[in-house]
Amino acid sequence: MQKLYSNKWVILSLVAPGLLTFIFAILAPICLSFYYGLTDFSGLGNATYVGLENYKNLMSDAAFWTALRNSILLAFGFILIQHPLAIITAAILDKLQGKAEGFFRCVYFIPNVISVAIIAYLWKFIYNPNFGLLNNILKIFGYNKEVNWLGSGMAIWSVLVVLIWHGFGWGMLIYYTGIKNIDPVLYEAAAIDGANTRTVFMKITLPLMKPVIQVNVTLAIIAALKQMETVYLLTNGGPGNETQFLANYLYKQAFSSFKYGYGNAISVVFIVICLVITVALNKMFQEKEVK
Amino acid sequence: MKKKILSVLVALTVVASLTACSSKKAENSDNNNQKNPSTTTIKVFSNQTDRKTGQGLIEQTLFDNYMKENPNVKIEVEALDDEAYKTKFKAYASGNSLPDLVNAWGQPSFLNEVIDAGILAELNKDDYKDYGFIDGSLEGFSKDGKLYGLPRNTDVMAFYYNKAIFKKNGWEVPKTYADLITLAGKIKAKGLIPCSMDGSDKWPLSIFMNDLVAKLEGDYKTEYRKSIESGDFSNPSYKKAAELLQEAVKAGLFQSGFETSDYGTSLNLFANGQAAMYYMGSWEMSMATNPDVIPEVRDNIGVFMMPVVDGGKGKVTDIAAWNGGGYAVTANSKVKDEAIKLLNYMFKQDNWSKLAWENGVCMSAQDYSAYLTGKETAPQKAFTDIVTGSTSITGVTFNDLGTSEFKSLSEDLSQMLAIGSIKPDEFIKNLEEATK
Repeated sequence: MQKLYSNKWVILSLVAPGLLTFIFAILAPICLSFYYGLTDFSGLGNATYVGLENYKNLMSDAAFWTALRNSILLAFGFILIQHPLAIITAAILDKLQGKAEGFFRCVYFIPNVISVAIIAYLWKFIYNPNFGLLNNILKIFGYNKEVNWLGSGMAIWSVLVVLIWHGFGWGMLIYYTGIKNIDPVLYEAAAIDGANTRTVFMKITLPLMKPVIQVNVTLAIIAALKQMETVYLLTNGGPGNETQFLANYLYKQAFSSFKYGYGNAISVVFIVICLVITVALNKMFQEKEVK
Repeated sequence: MKKKILSVLVALTVVASLTACSSKKAENSDNNNQKNPSTTTIKVFSNQTDRKTGQGLIEQTLFDNYMKENPNVKIEVEALDDEAYKTKFKAYASGNSLPDLVNAWGQPSFLNEVIDAGILAELNKDDYKDYGFIDGSLEGFSKDGKLYGLPRNTDVMAFYYNKAIFKKNGWEVPKTYADLITLAGKIKAKGLIPCSMDGSDKWPLSIFMNDLVAKLEGDYKTEYRKSIESGDFSNPSYKKAAELLQEAVKAGLFQSGFETSDYGTSLNLFANGQAAMYYMGSWEMSMATNPDVIPEVRDNIGVFMMPVVDGGKGKVTDIAAWNGGGYAVTANSKVKDEAIKLLNYMFKQDNWSKLAWENGVCMSAQDYSAYLTGKETAPQKAFTDIVTGSTSITGVTFNDLGTSEFKSLSEDLSQMLAIGSIKPDEFIKNLEEATK
């Protein structure tokens, strides 16, 4: 067996599918994107080289900056709202034990199992100002104004709620697994020393969860940047471009406005932003580990 | 021995990973060949996803009939909704693999880029001399004197209204735009939605404004094109139309949250009797026969046109109408001639035009007067009267007259104007910039 794995051809053959997939499905398209980003290609016919024109336009494109701002807003929403809640819920679940534990674990994970299309339409109906669930609930409490949840000013917050709610179960499940992996001996020792629940959570659970938190935060930020489907189906970036996100804006430019070249320029900037953030995050976490 | 097995395995892995994509295709073509060597398969790409009602039904019926008459022809349909259709159309086109007969829109925003890229086959104009296409209806599908497609319908934008609700409350069809605004207040006071509007798709808002320009300027057809070409929207009527739209929104003419209501939602508001009016095109006349629409609405649908504006030059008979959706044949199709034959068959006398009319689906772009029976639905009668009595038509509306980029920008602007996030002045300024 050892001999088998030291054979270069074997190594190559085992790596080949992955490597080829990477080259043809990721690297080559990125290079193509970079090329098309320098042209005014409409998706049909011929492309003309226009240099950095697309990138210049991008810098003065208000919608692009709104999209970027929204992505960052979502990342903060994930880190500051979704994840603290997910950790606490995971810790409580861990304490529940027995049937209740399994039941609630399932319940919290359900939104992740449902198709994004259904989630988006579900919330569209909940938010509908004329017959939506939310306004009807408000009516019961005597608030009779028809709140336009996806209207100008409100829309981005309503969208954030959906996204944070939707990704919650996934984050919680990872934290839950992390908590389950903590050695129970530590808790016993703490109990003997007379530590209360809060101290146990702050001094044992949280510190030991650090690697899990790091992974989850990285995943959350990438998910925030990549956000597309839910927004596309829920508001498609509207009203105006208020709830625009990078990936959705890219799609809109390339496929609705037939500005394929411009769309590619956005995608190149998008890749750069993602890379920078991932590298920065890795650096940040590494330094902490060294300390 | 071990080594030999190994190298075979290695070779297999590499071959498998390299051919993973192409194997499916090979299978498919094998299958086709085995079935029947003399069969011609015409692939159709359609934007009519519902094959059981409306235009999709008419399309499918014609295809089925054609296959019956020509047993050696097989028609394969792929259907997607408008937006998805346009995206996939482009993917197909850039991969040079468009199906043979495709849906197309006779509007510069869609057609110009497609024609310039040489994707569509030129049709022989003389073939259609006795097809009864109404004057100007082939214009949208023509460029530089050449014809590239055939329109399905004549589309007219109008207000549908619920006659029962109007009668019960003693309301009358508004004669002027001011009346419409006053009426909106009265309907709202009754707890109903005055007019349902599909604002998330944006184009109905653009057409609403274009409809108003027609009421302000009268016959203005050629001027829209000039404005787009020169990027000059300084005519005060454009700004006035923008102001009038904002006025309507302020008066609560549309449902709250109209900017996020999509096509289906806004249609349902009217179809369920929650809205008294509905601003939409004549293709929705089939509501009058649609079993999904509640009977109280279905049997009481009336139609009126955008009312005149005080001080405007236009009459109520200067209408927003155009010939939009239709069909074209791809230039490099392997069965181009067969596809053109099928297209011609669809629009021959007594086919599309007759079926569409008899089923109450829409008004074809051809002369359909021979098929009038007197038993038509109320909206059918109303639209026929509107079209025959029209003094001018707008043609393709301004949002669809420029490039596809202009379409997307100008429609975004219409929505932003409607929700009041930009002022009419800014709207005009941005519109002018969008033409550049």
